[in-house]
Amino acid sequence: MSAAFDQIAPHRDGAAPTSTGEASDFFALLKPRVMFLVIVTALGGMVAAPGSVNPIIGFAALLAISVGAGASGCLNMWWDADIDAVMTRTANRPIPAGRILPSEALAFGLTLSVGSVLVLGLVANLLSASMLAFTIFFYAVVYSMWLKRATPQNIVIGGAAGAFPPMIGEAVVTGDFGITSIVLFAIIFLWTPPHFWALALVKSGDYARAGIPMLPNVAGPAATRRQIVAYTLVLAPVAVLPALMGFGGMIYLAVSVVTGLMMIALSLRVLKVTEGDAAYKAAYQLFGFSILYLFLLFAVLLAENGLGLMWALPKVL
Amino acid sequence: MSENPQRQDPPSKPQPPAAFSPEDMARRNRRSIALALVLAGLVLFFFVVTLAKTGPAILNRPL
Repeated sequence: MSAAFDQIAPHRDGAAPTSTGEASDFFALLKPRVMFLVIVTALGGMVAAPGSVNPIIGFAALLAISVGAGASGCLNMWWDADIDAVMTRTANRPIPAGRILPSEALAFGLTLSVGSVLVLGLVANLLSASMLAFTIFFYAVVYSMWLKRATPQNIVIGGAAGAFPPMIGEAVVTGDFGITSIVLFAIIFLWTPPHFWALALVKSGDYARAGIPMLPNVAGPAATRRQIVAYTLVLAPVAVLPALMGFGGMIYLAVSVVTGLMMIALSLRVLKVTEGDAAYKAAYQLFGFSILYLFLLFAVLLAENGLGLMWALPKVL
Repeated sequence: MSENPQRQDPPSKPQPPAAFSPEDMARRNRRSIALALVLAGLVLFFFVVTLAKTGPAILNRPL
């Protein structure tokens, strides 16, 4: 069980547990950078969906989805405070740094979880709210509490949580989800392993200290590099599908092909360069570029579908 | 059960201070102001969303 539970109890002197954390610390608990990607991908699902939604309702739904994603990040930080404390990348997060008490983070995360699901249900529909609730549950319980410390496939299965936002976005617009958001789900799902394993190659010492069974620590760097290339080789063509299926246009086709080839080239470099600083640099470059890659794919989808920049290709699929 | 006098809390374990310093109080004030702004934002949010959900029909009701 996480050490986070050990710190929920009232202060030993009998004082009510409280901290001097500022609003920015609570905001940091929501993992703002992840929230930003969730906003982009959920909005991508909304604009690519066959249908339309009142802009105010759409904005409110997007706000609820992003807060729900932030809430799951907050619950993840609450649960993982013990391992965050021993990893250099996460040691300065609000809980391990001592700026926020675990009990505060737990209350904050649960409140936002319930609130975001209720608001989404009220402003949009039951299906999208149910999916948001499932996403929070999947990330906080299935991934954080179970998979992360149990299997090197943690981020493969857990990646589904990050891939749900476009489906929630489509459900907001149509009250259903179809092939459009399933393709967007597949893109994020396949993107997650090369993205996180590239980071895990760089930070394998951190993960080893924390006892997290990431693939490089369990199967070794060589096997991880092969898996990164395998996932990237599947991801790049799947990322082109929106253009072939009619909800991505000419710009999307060009961007997805060019950036997909760059992803493949960077992953092959990770496979080839295995020694010294150059190996770390190659892995870190793939990690950094993968963020830009996903952002660009969804930003172009947004521009084409939301801003009328769509020059559609003949529908192939 | 008696408390072990040798027990030391790990350095990373946050503990609330026995008394708040002026700096702590200033931080808590800023936190309270941020919370008030969020609550005010929520009021506005629900007002606007209610208008958007109900539409012009909000005025079309028996008195």
